[in-house]
Amino acid sequence: MAKYIGSRLLATIPLVFAVLVITFLIAVAVEANGSIATQICGEGATPECIGAIEEELGLNEPIVSRFFSWFGGVLSGDLGSSLVNQNTSVGELIGERIWPTLSIVGFSLLIGVTLGLLFGVLGAIRPGGFADRSISVGAAGVIAAPGFIIGMLLSWGIAVELGWLDPVGYVSLGESFTGWLKSITLPSIALSLPTLAIVQRQLRSSMANALQSRYVLAARARGVSRPSLISRHALPNALIPTVTVIGFRAAAAIGLTTAVEIVFGIRGMGEMLVTAIISRNVTVLQGGMIVVGLVVAAVNLLVDISYGFLNPKVRLDRD
Amino acid sequence: MLRNPLALLSMVWFVILVVSWLRPELLATHDPFQQDVSLQRLFEGPSSDHWLGTDGLGRDHYSRVIFGAGFAFRSVFIAMTIALGVGVPIGLFAGWRGGRVDRAIIWVNDVFFSLPIILLAMAVIIILSPSLTNAMIGVGIAMSTRFVRLTRGVTLAEKEELYVDAARITGISVPRILIRYIAPNLLSSLIVQAAIISGAVILIGATLSFLGIGASLDDPDWGVMLNRARPDFRREGIWQIVPSGGALVLTVLSFNLLGDAIRDSIGRDASSNALTVTKRASVTPASTEHLTDDDIVLSVRDMDVEFPSPNGPVSAILNGVSFEVRAGETLGVVGESGSGKSMTMLSALGLTPAPGRMTRGSVRFADEDVTNLTERDWLRLRGKEIGVIFQEPIAVLNPAMKVGAQIMEPLRIHLGMGKAEARKRAAELLAEVRVPDPERRLDQYPHEFSGGMAQRVGIAMALACEPKLLIADEPSTALDVTVQGQILDLLAEIQSRRNMAIILITHDLGVIAEAADRVLVMYGGQVMETGSAEDIFFRPKHPYTKALLDTMPQNHAGDGDLAVIAGIVPQPNAWPAGCRFAPRCVHATEACVSAIPPLLTVDADHVRCVRFDEPGFDLAHGGSTAEVSA
Amino acid sequence: MTEPSLLRSQAVDGPLLEVDDLHVQFAGRGRLFGTSPPPVRAVNGVSFSIAPERTFGLVGESGSGKSTIARAILQLVDIASGTIRLGGDDVTQVQRKDELKFRKNVQAVLQDPFSSLNQVHQTRTIVGDGITRHYGLKPGANRDERIGRLLDAVGLSREFIDRYPYEMSGGQRQRISIARALAVEPRLIIADEATSALDVSIQSQVINVLRQIQDDSGVSFLFIAHDLEVVKHVSHDLGVMYLGYLVEKGDANAIYDAPTHPYTEMLIASIPMPDPVVQAGRRELRQSFDNDAEPPSPANLPPGCPFENRCPVAMDICREVMPDPTPAHHGGDVRCHLHTSGPELAGESVVEFIKTKAESRMAGSQRSQDKSLTS
Repeated sequence: MAKYIGSRLLATIPLVFAVLVITFLIAVAVEANGSIATQICGEGATPECIGAIEEELGLNEPIVSRFFSWFGGVLSGDLGSSLVNQNTSVGELIGERIWPTLSIVGFSLLIGVTLGLLFGVLGAIRPGGFADRSISVGAAGVIAAPGFIIGMLLSWGIAVELGWLDPVGYVSLGESFTGWLKSITLPSIALSLPTLAIVQRQLRSSMANALQSRYVLAARARGVSRPSLISRHALPNALIPTVTVIGFRAAAAIGLTTAVEIVFGIRGMGEMLVTAIISRNVTVLQGGMIVVGLVVAAVNLLVDISYGFLNPKVRLDRD
Repeated sequence: MLRNPLALLSMVWFVILVVSWLRPELLATHDPFQQDVSLQRLFEGPSSDHWLGTDGLGRDHYSRVIFGAGFAFRSVFIAMTIALGVGVPIGLFAGWRGGRVDRAIIWVNDVFFSLPIILLAMAVIIILSPSLTNAMIGVGIAMSTRFVRLTRGVTLAEKEELYVDAARITGISVPRILIRYIAPNLLSSLIVQAAIISGAVILIGATLSFLGIGASLDDPDWGVMLNRARPDFRREGIWQIVPSGGALVLTVLSFNLLGDAIRDSIGRDASSNALTVTKRASVTPASTEHLTDDDIVLSVRDMDVEFPSPNGPVSAILNGVSFEVRAGETLGVVGESGSGKSMTMLSALGLTPAPGRMTRGSVRFADEDVTNLTERDWLRLRGKEIGVIFQEPIAVLNPAMKVGAQIMEPLRIHLGMGKAEARKRAAELLAEVRVPDPERRLDQYPHEFSGGMAQRVGIAMALACEPKLLIADEPSTALDVTVQGQILDLLAEIQSRRNMAIILITHDLGVIAEAADRVLVMYGGQVMETGSAEDIFFRPKHPYTKALLDTMPQNHAGDGDLAVIAGIVPQPNAWPAGCRFAPRCVHATEACVSAIPPLLTVDADHVRCVRFDEPGFDLAHGGSTAEVSA
Repeated sequence: MTEPSLLRSQAVDGPLLEVDDLHVQFAGRGRLFGTSPPPVRAVNGVSFSIAPERTFGLVGESGSGKSTIARAILQLVDIASGTIRLGGDDVTQVQRKDELKFRKNVQAVLQDPFSSLNQVHQTRTIVGDGITRHYGLKPGANRDERIGRLLDAVGLSREFIDRYPYEMSGGQRQRISIARALAVEPRLIIADEATSALDVSIQSQVINVLRQIQDDSGVSFLFIAHDLEVVKHVSHDLGVMYLGYLVEKGDANAIYDAPTHPYTEMLIASIPMPDPVVQAGRRELRQSFDNDAEPPSPANLPPGCPFENRCPVAMDICREVMPDPTPAHHGGDVRCHLHTSGPELAGESVVEFIKTKAESRMAGSQRSQDKSLTS
């Protein structure tokens, strides 16, 4: 198993590198579609200003050497500085904004995956039964609703009308644990409902497949009881495709959290990225992409490792 | 699909949306951009004038929602054109080429696939400047990765299908194979996926517009409407987000429901599985009595099993099946595909696959009537008193569970053994079925076993609790012929040691000749004949038995044509009236086709043929009953 | 340089198909980053030939490489070395423009009646595509008439022209496959497990159709199956495959009656006979083979004879050297050391030798049992 994890860990390196290449190419494309230097110097820029900026950003050098100097910077943790405010380093900006985002994404995954798996099994136990049908209808509805709409409903209903929690704002973990938990609860629930529904549907359908398999029939013919058929035979096999889906959903949640953060007035990565796009602040977007790329690589690694635990064939073949 | 009310409702919703898109002025009541300059009618609820109220600038919600449909459809059109146009060709190419090219393409695709779609769209927007079209270009590119995966997966699978080899052998060119042969098979899954992804495209488009980097902030786009409502909905009430949010959710829901409905109409039904226990219904009692000999282990009388079919009448898979098996004896059950031999055994064990069920008959195991046994009571018999061996030795082992744990299962359930004791016994069992190195093998997974070794594991599991009866369903069919002998020898050896009853199901009369003491010949869900092995082979009473023997190449002398049974093996939904073999029987008369012949008892054996006791009707000496013709 | 004629002339002198020292290997499935496992040697130095209007039967168990040989001849897999000649022309180097000529001469009927027909096409397209491709006959009444005649030839009514595969039984589908192969009037049809998936009562129908076609058109067959009884019945000549090697080939009936390779004898002994009395004898014969050893993996073949660990009469040399083909009494050859060393059977039947060995072994084990009882 250690060897398997090691090989998977090595496999994330090319992925991270690919994300870096894509990120770099975005800046190249932005430059090709309108000068960054002109943008920094503002309307009616002097040629001197433009020349100085181009010199400073190295925009006149060949693309390959630009890539390597940028790449070297990224490796040493230097993500450059914001194009809008040259005094702000992108690294610091992200350091500030990443915690609310990670809190919401993490908490929403915890809720969504736990309940999704639970409801998935519940639905599969009695296919076509009352529980199965109610869960399916609920899941279909939730999948169709984007997180930010659910967030608006929660913010209005739970926070404004019932007054149970604050409708907007974020309290950092350093300030107060309960404050933090309260501030991320509604956004996390909003983001978690579609996750819950997707995980539920996947597990429900792979459980159905597993329960139709020959090995479950054979186990039943050996006198294995229903609870054991579900938990020992069907579930471990049904989890294999479900884990993959959870991985995809984790990546998607990182993207979808932007809108949820904005609904709840939380100054996280979402707001940072939107502002960056409107002001064509490409270094900030690049910084955001790199962080997301790292998170995605970590998620993929976790998925691969769980896959190895669940699927002996994968683990043993790669060992 | 049209019987699905939800899918129908989705269709109605789409019709409304398409009209809104093509001719919004037909449905709208106001100009979607017209503001209320008097500032009197802002944030209103529904009224006769403004059916869905007004927004913060006094614009009519209803009309803006109607005009919003156009934005939604334009989004889907742009994104899906790119996604399909880019994704499908790449997927086809990668899947067809295979090898390193395929792996490289898929690797790059997976990098994009694993990044959040919203982020990729943001990258395109920052390059091209914010607009709904640019956002949708980004979403389209991101979504193309979904179609690369799907298309490539299906193409890889279809490429392995023999019809593709056949087309290449015919000399059909590769582009034509891809377009005329593979693409049509891809179409159904592509349509399902496209419907669901269209819903996702609308959802993501609305999210981007909501973020202010999609549609222009004046446009009557649903996402923009939500963006405009954001600062005020807490103060002015939730109604502000209902019209646009509702339209959005309904549209995405409709796409999803449509996708599901298409998939359900082409795919298999996942609503029943091994755990579905069909509602208990009264089983009509058998019309004949069980024999009462002491040594009878399993006795089945007059068993009918029916399957409700979705479009048509109930089909009777089994009809009037009766037999018994005694301790120490091997009952061979022989028949062609669809004869009902496996179904007979599953139903006798209360394992009739849903939605089928036993509707008539009686089953006795040892001294107990088990016809109406509950699932809970069956647990104490299955695996303990009755062992089952299946045809596909690897498929019946749980791939995610160590082989040892699976062998230990019946020991722990039925004999209450502890872990260590069960493991020790499991190793002994493996040694008993002559699996080399049993201790090491216990810790291996099923995929590390060859078919022959896996079947030995299957036998060890079935025998773990020393059952009185072993049911072996085609135990050697999936194995090589030189391995088949090993398995048959093993069964014979264990039987002689334990005086166990064996029911051996097979399509191969050679296996019957080797292993069976008595034989049950089945055809079309009915028992055609029972008898001792000698009777069946040397004095068959039923023309089907005789014809089956004649068609075997082993029984063919000389170089001429093989004897054949004309016609096709009938399917359960097309049983012939009368004797089910009559249409293929060279001896059939009027009487054979008019009514199902009864199962007659001759000495202790049975035969289902109206002609068998006619004077001069002697199959054994009457030459071949099968035609010799092309 | 002369262009390959690819059977342009009508008459073929000598064999229609000659396979000489054919090797096929499959690369282990490599990864994008990293090394590939060693190749699987699927076919090892196989040589045989088929004369016009003859049937060569190839028999072997799963993993024996018999289907790979078919796929190599059909150019569906790349060969590692060796030659395949059709009417004297080497077809392993077929140029793109000659591929169509090759396809017109060599057709196939494949195993699975479900997967070998495209579910989305009617018979009209399944059979007609080849006619259009090779004779330029566009869809229409003329082509339908031609398809109709092919349906007659395979014993199906002409209504089948409008049917989809899911509307047909397994046997009917296999007849459609045969019609598809016949449509281009080939010289050679490769039948790869063409009847294995069918019920016994249907299998014999399809075999009779194949024989009828040979009588009518003079086509040659390469008939591949795992069932020796079926292969023997349809074939003039027979080849026995084991783990990529052609261990024995010669006259079909002569091999069946007096095999010269122990594996062939084991195969014959393993086929259960539908007669309890005959089968009792066969079982005894079968049990004289060492039954519990597993065949080696084709990815890791031993240096010597791959059958050595299951062979009841193996010698020391068998472990080290793979024997070369030596002539056998049935007119073909055999790859077994028994004919050149040890008993030096010189191409005669191996049946008696195995029987004697088995009897002496039984007697030996009987003696040792007696000894253990008395001690």
